Amino acid sequence: MSPAGMGLRHHGPEPIDPVRVVVLGGRGFVGSELLAAMKHAGIATLAPPRLELDLTAADASDRLAGILRPTDSLVLLAAVTPDKGRGVGPFMANLTIGAAVARALERVTPAHVVYFSSDAVYPMSAGLVSEASGAQPSDLYGMMHLARETMLTTASRAPVAVLRPTLLYGAGDTHNSYGPNRLRRVAHKEGRIALFGEGEEVRDHLFVDDIVGLTLLALRLRSSGLLNLATGRSISYAELARKIAAQFERPIEIVGTPRQTPVTHRHFDVTALHKAFPAFRFTPIDEGLARAHCEMIGGA
Amino acid sequence: MSEPVIGFAGLTHLGLVSAAAAAARGFDVIAFDPDRARVASIARGELPVVEPDLPQRLDKHRDRLTCTADVAALARCDVVYVAPDVPTDEASASDLAPVRTLFEMVAGAVASEAVLVVLSQVPPGFTRSLPGPAERRFYQVETLIFGRAVDRALHPERFILGCAEPSLPLPPSLATYLGAFGCPVLPMRYESAELAKISINVCLVASVSAANILAEVCERVGADWSEIVPALRLDRRIGPAAYLAPGLGIAGGNLERDLATVCRLAEQHGTEAAVVRAWLADSEYRRDWALRQIHARVLTRVADPTLAVLGLAYKENTASTKNSASLALLAALAPFRVRVYDPSVAPRPEFHPQLAAAATPLEACAGGDALIVMTPWDEFRALRADAIAARLRGRTVIDPYRVLDAAACLAAGLDLVVLGAPAREAPP
Repeated sequence: MSPAGMGLRHHGPEPIDPVRVVVLGGRGFVGSELLAAMKHAGIATLAPPRLELDLTAADASDRLAGILRPTDSLVLLAAVTPDKGRGVGPFMANLTIGAAVARALERVTPAHVVYFSSDAVYPMSAGLVSEASGAQPSDLYGMMHLARETMLTTASRAPVAVLRPTLLYGAGDTHNSYGPNRLRRVAHKEGRIALFGEGEEVRDHLFVDDIVGLTLLALRLRSSGLLNLATGRSISYAELARKIAAQFERPIEIVGTPRQTPVTHRHFDVTALHKAFPAFRFTPIDEGLARAHCEMIGGA
Repeated sequence: MSEPVIGFAGLTHLGLVSAAAAAARGFDVIAFDPDRARVASIARGELPVVEPDLPQRLDKHRDRLTCTADVAALARCDVVYVAPDVPTDEASASDLAPVRTLFEMVAGAVASEAVLVVLSQVPPGFTRSLPGPAERRFYQVETLIFGRAVDRALHPERFILGCAEPSLPLPPSLATYLGAFGCPVLPMRYESAELAKISINVCLVASVSAANILAEVCERVGADWSEIVPALRLDRRIGPAAYLAPGLGIAGGNLERDLATVCRLAEQHGTEAAVVRAWLADSEYRRDWALRQIHARVLTRVADPTLAVLGLAYKENTASTKNSASLALLAALAPFRVRVYDPSVAPRPEFHPQLAAAATPLEACAGGDALIVMTPWDEFRALRADAIAARLRGRTVIDPYRVLDAAACLAAGLDLVVLGAPAREAPP
């Protein structure tokens, strides 16, 4: 499909606060930030804790169908993330979650569905990634997201927005994958940052406030379709490390390590995002890193 | 034989230009269109297209040129070209029904010995499928270029002629007419000629796609595509007239139509055309180049910008906006105020919800946070950089086609963004 055929379509002419937003996975990094932002905006929310709604349980779809109202917007963030394993177990658990939500959507049609997928659906060899890029996951985590995208868009009669965020950062990130959060924590704790190789790989890093802002826009406009969430500006890990080190008052040593894997790069063409949300402005990475740093130091 | 009388049926862009060229070459011409209103407009000198030199040519040779809505007038012709522009849909697929209908209408009106030539752009197999005697039915490749159509019709590089039997001599009337242009005539079977037209356009797209890909690399690595192009032109395998100017994607409709036809033929016959699909996708990416520049260089810095846009037509010297990069840009800038000027396309509210039409290019610049030159009209080349700088509120000039004088822009304190070279900021 051509790039022009991708991206988001808005179902509301003007942004309107959703009546109520049901968030599945509200305790995670993005979920908690999203709930806080909606609370601040005065939007009614419901984020059932796992004790009330275990999406891997046999009765999950019944319980979710009992909760959902036709006027609700549903946000699915719940997933067993890669830091908890990339094997068959998490893969099957994530499919179970997706299946439960899909079955509930077959019974109750909400006003809108937002699904958080991942840029892991794209292979690292995809070149400049856009929504038109072929989704060919190279691992079970990406495969899971691609399968869940299809589950939800097939099951739902409501507009579905599939969002594929790239690497996220922010002080509240509990994951410890190779990125701004880990580099900052390691620098804070050890006074040095160790890079893979010399940090040649370039990646796009998205500040959590931006993903929250973009999600709120999609909710308010009842958007449907497919959108990558990325800034369109990639930097190398070496440059990222220098930016993070510069946040500290004491010197932070940046060291390379013997490379174990080939260098890969990831760049995004975010034209579809510009078209979907023309007035949206990303947080510049220097500002985002500074804010995350201050929050971490303040909370340390 | 005496000079043949040449007929043209279908008086849109292709038919009108071709009729003017035939008259300019000294032939009596009957120009027919079934649309009486269109014929009446043309007779008053009100042409349905903007094409340099066309009004002057039609006026200069009007004693040899008869415009009519009466198909029976074609009975005088020795050769009749069927030349309506072929409309395309949003998927760039041709609607061939009008050209077939017109051919059948003409075939019923001409003398029994007259030669019929399809000049419209049609896919392989179309000409053979038409009714009537094949020995007097031909297909001729048109190579009309918007903005340069008259010159190319008067001075063609060659005639590519699809025939039922290429080894047979051409009918004398057609041979006489084509011979008047003094260029090679290449007879070939119908399908080869129909595919030759598509082949020309595919090669052009291949060339310009390569230019676009490498121009973007130039922007990132500190190279300048304009310095590389002369070296390429001196390479005999590439050539002095190669399509090497980077642009904002394929537009106008004709190239897109041919690429779509190749994809359809490949699908139908099981041949590989992934590269052609990639060119189409690449074209859409190029179309949004200016939008990406505006987001990166203006919208990140200015909260509520006003943007000055010069040019709406898909290229200079035409009023066509088919697949225009400028209109695509305007559609993606809905929340922002836009001031627009184009020499031949009147701004319309459906282009943009907050569009203000300017009477001159400099009026469009007034109070703008950035200037974006979306069509390389000659009129814009004459703009003085200091006059632009005096009217703009901001400093950013996005000039993909390098219409403006770069050194003068920088000297006037303007930051300049072009295709094929790194962006340059004015010295402080």
